[in-house]
Amino acid sequence: MNQNIRSFLALTKASMKMYYRNKGAVVFTLLLPVALMSIFGFLSSGSGTLLKIGYTNHSTSAMSLQLVEELKKTKAFGAVEMTEEQATEQLTKGDLDLQIIIPENFATAENGNPLASSVMTRYNKAKPQTGQIATMAIVQLVSHLDRAFTKSPTLLDVKSEGITANRLGYFDFVLPGILAMTIMQLGIFGVAFSFVAMKASGALRRIQATPVHPVYFVFGQAVVRLLITLATTALLVTLGTYFFHFHMVGSYFSFGLIAVLGILLFLGFGFGIAGWAKDETQVAPVANLLQLPMLLLSGIFFSREGFPAWLKSVTDYFPLTYLTHGLRKVANEGASLSQIPVDLIGMIVWLVLIYALAIKVFRWE
Amino acid sequence: MSTGGISSVGSPRQTLLTAGRSLSYPPPEWKIFAKFHALQENAMPTPILEVTGLTKTYENNTQAVKGISFSVDKGEVFGILGPNGAGKTTTLEMIEGLRSITSGTVLLDGIKAQENPYEVKRRIGIQLQASAFFQNLKLTELLEMFRDLYGSDVDITTLLADVGLAEKADFFVKNLSGGQKQRFSIATTLVNKPVMVFLDEPTTGLDPQARRNLWDLIAQIKSRGTTVILTTHYMDEAQFLCDRLAIMDDGKIVALDSPNQLIRQLLTRGFQPHSEIPPATLEDVFLDLTGKTLRD
Repeated sequence: MNQNIRSFLALTKASMKMYYRNKGAVVFTLLLPVALMSIFGFLSSGSGTLLKIGYTNHSTSAMSLQLVEELKKTKAFGAVEMTEEQATEQLTKGDLDLQIIIPENFATAENGNPLASSVMTRYNKAKPQTGQIATMAIVQLVSHLDRAFTKSPTLLDVKSEGITANRLGYFDFVLPGILAMTIMQLGIFGVAFSFVAMKASGALRRIQATPVHPVYFVFGQAVVRLLITLATTALLVTLGTYFFHFHMVGSYFSFGLIAVLGILLFLGFGFGIAGWAKDETQVAPVANLLQLPMLLLSGIFFSREGFPAWLKSVTDYFPLTYLTHGLRKVANEGASLSQIPVDLIGMIVWLVLIYALAIKVFRWE
Repeated sequence: MSTGGISSVGSPRQTLLTAGRSLSYPPPEWKIFAKFHALQENAMPTPILEVTGLTKTYENNTQAVKGISFSVDKGEVFGILGPNGAGKTTTLEMIEGLRSITSGTVLLDGIKAQENPYEVKRRIGIQLQASAFFQNLKLTELLEMFRDLYGSDVDITTLLADVGLAEKADFFVKNLSGGQKQRFSIATTLVNKPVMVFLDEPTTGLDPQARRNLWDLIAQIKSRGTTVILTTHYMDEAQFLCDRLAIMDDGKIVALDSPNQLIRQLLTRGFQPHSEIPPATLEDVFLDLTGKTLRD
C-alpha cells in the first residue's frame, strides 16, 4: 500500500475512534438536532389542523362544491365556512392562516363555453411562509379542477402527480432549516474546539515529529466530520419522514449533494477558526460571532420575507442562506440542481473564499 | 552498513529488561551485521550526527542558538545540559527538522536536515518535552497509528512489553502515571526502529523510583545500538547516562566532554568544593527507605 494512503487511513481511523469515544460530542451531534426537530415536529403536527382556512363560497356550481369538499378532505387544512368579513377579521387577528373566496361565477358556463374565473386567497403578511404554503396547496387543488372543468388533457402538467403540495406544512418548511443549522454547527463548533484542543495540548505537534505532514491529519479529520454530519443529516431526514411526515418533493440525491457542499463549506469555517486560534479561548468568540447572525438571519425557522429590504439583501449573501434556500427548494418545491444556480454558485464562491482564507491564517502551533 | 533498522553494537542477542520478561532482540539474522558493526565501532567511532555552525535567529531578532558545532557518535548517549532558555530545545528541534534552521548545517545519518527534514524524521524518534497524545485512543491504537505513519511493521505487543507497559495495552494515556506516560512516550519514538532517539527532559517531574526506571530503559535503548541524545536538568542523571555531554549557555556550547573529563578539568582548575561531600546522597537515603520498586 502506498505510504501516503496508509498514513491517511491511520489518521482517519484514529479520528473516527476519537470521535465516537467522545460521548459528549456524540450527544451534542445527535441529540440536539433530533430534539429540536422533534419539538418542531410535535408543535406543527400535534393537535388538530395545520393550516386554518376560512372559505366563503359565492358559487353554487357543482365544481365549487367539489372544491369545498376537497378543502375539507385535506387533513392538513382546518377549513371552516364563514363570511368574507368574518374571515378577514380572523385573518388580521392571526386566527386564520388563509382566507379563500370562491367567486359566484366559479366554474360556470355561458352558451356552453366555460367562463374564466379566479379563486382569491388572502394570507397574513406576518406569517408569509404558512400563507404561501397554503396558497400553493390551493393552486394545486384548483388546477386539478380546472383541467376537469375545461376537459383539457394534462399535456404540460408533468409534475402534478408527484407533488404532494396539498400536505406541505410548517414542518416541511423548517426541517431543511434545522438540517442547515446542524450542518453549520457541526462544521464550526464540532471541528474548531476539538481541533484547537489537539493543537494546544501538543498532540498535533507530536504528529509533526513523524515523517507525515500534518495536513493528512486535517484531511482525516475532515473525512470523519463529513461522514458524521452526512449521517446525522440522513438520520434527521429519516426520523422526520417517519415520525413527522416530512415530504421530500425533490430528489434525495440533489438534496444530499447540496448538503455535502454545505458540510464542506462549514468545515472550512471550522478548520479556519481552529487553524487560526491558539487555544480554546480564542475559538469561542470568533465561532459565535460568525454563527449567531447566520443562525438568526438566514431564514432557518422563519421566512426572511418579513425582513426590511436592506436586511434581506444583506442576508441574501449569507452562506447559510444559500444552503437553507437550496435545501428547501429541493425538498419543498422539487427543484433540480439546475434550477437553483444562485444557491450553488453562492456556496461555491464562499467555499473558495473560506478555504483560501483558512490556508492563509492557519498556524500549526 | 545497515540503515533503516536498529543496528546493534556489542552482544547481538540481548535479553531486555522489564519485570523478568525476556525477549531476544535483535532477531538472529542480524547477527552477522551486528558483528560487522561491532568491528567497525571498535575501529573508530563514526559520527551519526554532525552539527556545524548551527544558528537560530527568531523574527524578533533574538538569537536562540549562536553557531554551535558538535558531533554525536553512533551508539553513544549524548547529553545537552544548560539552564532554561539556553537553547537546548531549539537546538534539538532544528536537528529534528521541526524548526527551520537560520544558518549552519545538520548532517544526520548522512542526510542534510534542512534539505530533507522528512527523510531525517523517518530515521529518528522524537520525544517532545511536553508529550501529549490524542485522547480516547488506547496505547496499542496510538502505537499502531504511529507505526502506520512510519510505514513500519514493528510488533506493538513486543514494543509495549519492552517499555514495561504490556499490562496497560488497553489503557488510555490519561490513566497512566507520570513515569508510565514517559515510558509510553519513549515507546512511540521506537516504532520506526530509529537510528537515533531524541529525548527532551524525559525524567522531569518523576519520582526517584520512576526516574531510575527510565534510566534503565534509556540504557537498554543504548544497548541495542540506538544513539540517544537527551536534555536534562539533573546532573546525576547526566553523569549516570551520558557518554559525553555538551553544556550550553546563552545559545553557545561552553563545554563538551565526557562527564568524568569535565569534572577532572574543573578540579585541575583548582576547584574547591563548598563542603565535604558525604559518600551518600539524600536520594540514596530516600531510595534506601522507600525501595526501588516502581510505584505506578
